[in-house]
Amino acid sequence: MPCGYAIVRVLNTPRSSAVDSPRITFSMDTARMSLSLYRTMQIIRQTEEELARCHQRGLIHGACHTYVGQEAIATGVCAHLTKADSVFSTHRGHGHALAKGMPPKELIAELFGRSTGCSQGRGGSMHIFSPEIGMMGTSGIVAPCILQACGGGYTSMLLKTGAVGVAFFGDGAVNNGAFHEGLNMAAIWKLPVLFVCENNQYATEVPSSYASGNPSVASRGAAYGIPGIEVDGNDVLEIHRLAGEAIARARAGGGPTLLECKTYRTRAHAEGMGDFTYRTREEVEQWKQRCPIVRLRTAATASPLAGMDAAAVTVHFDAIEKEVAVLVQEARAFAEASPVPEPNTATQHVYAPPKPIPPAPKSAATRTITFSQATLEALSEEMAVNPGIFVMGEGIGKRGGNFVTTKGLYDLYGGERLCDTPICERGFVGLACGAGMTGSRPVIDFMFADFVLDGFAEIVNQIAKMQYMSSGRLKMPVLLRGCIGIGHSAATHHSGSYYGMFGQVPGLRVVVPSSAEDAKGLLKHALRCDDPVLFLEHREILQIKGPVPDGDYEIEFGKARIVREGRHITVVALAQMVHQTLSVCEELERDGISVEIIDPRTVSPLDTATILQSVHKTGRLLIVDEPPGQYGFSAEIAARVVDEGFNDLDAPIRRVTGAFCPTPYSPSLESVVVPQPADIAQAIRDLVDE
Amino acid sequence: MPHEIRLPRLGWSMEEGTFVGWLKMPGADVSVGEPLFELEGEKATQEIESLDAGELYIPPDAPKPGSTIPVGTLLGYLLAKGEPLPSGDAPKVIVPSQDIIEPAPAMTSTTMATDAPIATTTASVASPRAKRVAQELGVDWQTLKGTGKDGRVRETDVRAASTVAVPTAVGLPVGITARRKAIAERLRTSVERTIPVTLTTEADAAGIVTLREQFKAAKSAVIPAFTDIMACLIAKVLPRHPQIAVRWDSARSTLVAVPADQYHIGIAVDTPDGLLVPLVRDVGRTPLLKIATESKGLIERARHGRLTIAEMQSGVLTISNLGSYGINGFTPIINYPEIAILGLGAVRREAVVTDDDRIVPGLRMTLSLTFDHAAIDGAPAAAFLKDVAHAVKNAAAILLGA
Repeated sequence: MPCGYAIVRVLNTPRSSAVDSPRITFSMDTARMSLSLYRTMQIIRQTEEELARCHQRGLIHGACHTYVGQEAIATGVCAHLTKADSVFSTHRGHGHALAKGMPPKELIAELFGRSTGCSQGRGGSMHIFSPEIGMMGTSGIVAPCILQACGGGYTSMLLKTGAVGVAFFGDGAVNNGAFHEGLNMAAIWKLPVLFVCENNQYATEVPSSYASGNPSVASRGAAYGIPGIEVDGNDVLEIHRLAGEAIARARAGGGPTLLECKTYRTRAHAEGMGDFTYRTREEVEQWKQRCPIVRLRTAATASPLAGMDAAAVTVHFDAIEKEVAVLVQEARAFAEASPVPEPNTATQHVYAPPKPIPPAPKSAATRTITFSQATLEALSEEMAVNPGIFVMGEGIGKRGGNFVTTKGLYDLYGGERLCDTPICERGFVGLACGAGMTGSRPVIDFMFADFVLDGFAEIVNQIAKMQYMSSGRLKMPVLLRGCIGIGHSAATHHSGSYYGMFGQVPGLRVVVPSSAEDAKGLLKHALRCDDPVLFLEHREILQIKGPVPDGDYEIEFGKARIVREGRHITVVALAQMVHQTLSVCEELERDGISVEIIDPRTVSPLDTATILQSVHKTGRLLIVDEPPGQYGFSAEIAARVVDEGFNDLDAPIRRVTGAFCPTPYSPSLESVVVPQPADIAQAIRDLVDE
Repeated sequence: MPHEIRLPRLGWSMEEGTFVGWLKMPGADVSVGEPLFELEGEKATQEIESLDAGELYIPPDAPKPGSTIPVGTLLGYLLAKGEPLPSGDAPKVIVPSQDIIEPAPAMTSTTMATDAPIATTTASVASPRAKRVAQELGVDWQTLKGTGKDGRVRETDVRAASTVAVPTAVGLPVGITARRKAIAERLRTSVERTIPVTLTTEADAAGIVTLREQFKAAKSAVIPAFTDIMACLIAKVLPRHPQIAVRWDSARSTLVAVPADQYHIGIAVDTPDGLLVPLVRDVGRTPLLKIATESKGLIERARHGRLTIAEMQSGVLTISNLGSYGINGFTPIINYPEIAILGLGAVRREAVVTDDDRIVPGLRMTLSLTFDHAAIDGAPAAAFLKDVAHAVKNAAAILLGA
């Protein structure tokens, strides 16, 4: 079906100068609004110019991308937003923050690396956060803001807040997959989102005319069935008008809009960078003549502004300029006088402060259920009490999930909370990030953890770092779950574990349970804590039954379980490997070898203390791990035990791990790349003999 | 050619010793026979005499005083006048073979060394845990044969070698000294090789109590201790009991008679470093007061770790006196290769029924004789103990040659 929207081309070409502006009759309201827009643009311009000076003087430690020349866009759009609306920005985001209401002193102090900065010195220019006013961050990565704005929109839709999510992005983002995935998701769910493309014609130094098969960004809206509007990005009044319409439509449930603002940055990509290897001085000069600030002022003075003559109007604009100049100087002085952050606080805010754990159920009664039933119970119970929880994934709606992870929940909680997705892992993981930032609690069901990898950057760069980048002002309650594990000829795209990789990421919790009881308790904790959690379920143990306590309980992260007590050797294992090791313990016991099994349950945080305690007792450590050993979970444990428990070791630490090899298909090949019970038993015997 | 000075073996079982310190300054001229350094072995601290002459040179990396090092470790050199400092390959540790019984204090080696580090291990390898446990238990893991892969010493090897029971509860390691290890080893040898039986009897102690009081009244320069008097009495009794006056020979296969002019009697002495048994020599032919003087000297030296090995070798029988602790009967362990040990209990004042059925105050002591049933039978041992008790009762007369 052809889409119902044509490109709305409001202004085909930007006007070359304010002289060309039509004479507009300003009403009283328009007059007030014009002065307000002018003031915002002046704040942006003067702050940016002050930052440029500060950069030259060495007061700014890292990168500084200014918004000079593009002020009309942030100003025109943000004039319609309240604190409840969320803005997701780019690396060139000072203007968005200021337009959204951030005081210049917080911005300047952040670029100076001071503790009074908006991110307390953890972010700098590309990590500007002020969630209290709906400024959800600038970003060093191009395009994730598009997905995060969809998340802001999803939260609004789910919790019926009426808020909109706004993504500002450059022309460089529109050829990135996130643009495609984000616009499509926003379209199919009619999310209250405004996509604002600031087409300044260069992605850093690469011209958009070169990088785009179709140079019209606005025309791409049609590909997703949403309105695409092109506007002169230096005309603040026109942007204000069109953004107002789009935002009103979004709030009314009319879905998203793509607004392409043609503009130009008149300073270099970043302060201190050369500018004329890819564009000419003449081109830059031409665009300086189209300055949006001068243009508004000229238009206003040339037209009757609420009955005032030109001289009277000039007095108003001059007053604003002077007031802003004072404001910016005060902001700089404030920033310079501010202290730098205490070095010993560098690792604060990686995770949210822990919440108290409810007491264990009084009744000791248990039921015997499968691992899958246990996680389904946990999810359903939490969804019943927390309306902010929603699940996204492929086939998790009516179908109830490939691994029955959501069976029956659709009927209980409906389609918005059990949301089937297109096959766009990066898209919906990025959406989850924005949703978590704006007050809902997404659960992303990947089916297979191998599919997580398409969303890897969203997890590592955005979700995991968000709490830290915002110095704890944002929470990131996102649960990412998926199946891992080799078996039944699933082959290499349906069998990876990857937890070692994710264990290297600060800010992430990584959970790998081995029993029904642990799975339920840990999932409950995951659904209540404010940290992002990667919850990995081994496919081969989903149907293993075990006792699960009646009543509500949580299991804290970072607490290992002693699966079996023994005297001669400590075996550390996760998930399926716990069961494989258990299967050989009786045989070994008959031969006089007493095995202690420790299941850390969470890869991150890792309970080193319990492992060390066990090694102190036994003097021997074997780590049994299904994925390849190289740089993995087993290597980390070995390193920690050597560091802290060297004098307890009566033999070298040994590992039994999977082969350094993708997972093969044929059973004859598959069985030799993953540790088998016989391998484990032999390794235990060998180590006891060492 | 420089003369090497190495840690000598002081007895057949010694594997390591504590280098106490030099008795000569570096650069001093040392003559043959001069005391050169002090060495603490299993049994005692000994002055080691120089076998060679020369100027003492101590390499900078030589073992420091107080360090416990394997037998054969290079300590220093004696250089001839004008002789250059030794140079060459790092010296090898020479461990005298187990067959060598006599000490070899100055082993020579063709390889010479200067400042090269001195190897102090026997090249065995231990697990970190085994090293830790070895330190806690005071076991020298380097002397152990490991049962782990490629001979690695493991915790189990260390615990098997340890002579003290270690509580499993966590506590501060006390550590044990070479002396303690040696004592334990000797006691274990005794228990393993003898069939100990302990007999006890009561003796009338009034005679020896009176005797000591008379020495005091006579203002004797030396007052003999109970142990001294008992040693003399035993020496008087022994000739009538040739079955007791024997020792196991060095091959441990046969018994050897101890002639009457070699009745060296051991006195068990409690010292800060543990039990030591110096010998009072030729008790049968030595007057009591001389014995008293000698034993005082021995006890003093024992408590200061100054006994020589010769002062503790080749006894006929040992006396262990726990009377001062209020102990009566006990089961002393034989000082192998001797075959008997006599335990002295406290002198007790108690009611005694006389032959004519009167009850009178009396002074009694318990004698505990542990003998090796492998060497003699119960009856001759009992007869010996009866004679000793009789001698105690009639101490003055016996000592005067009755």
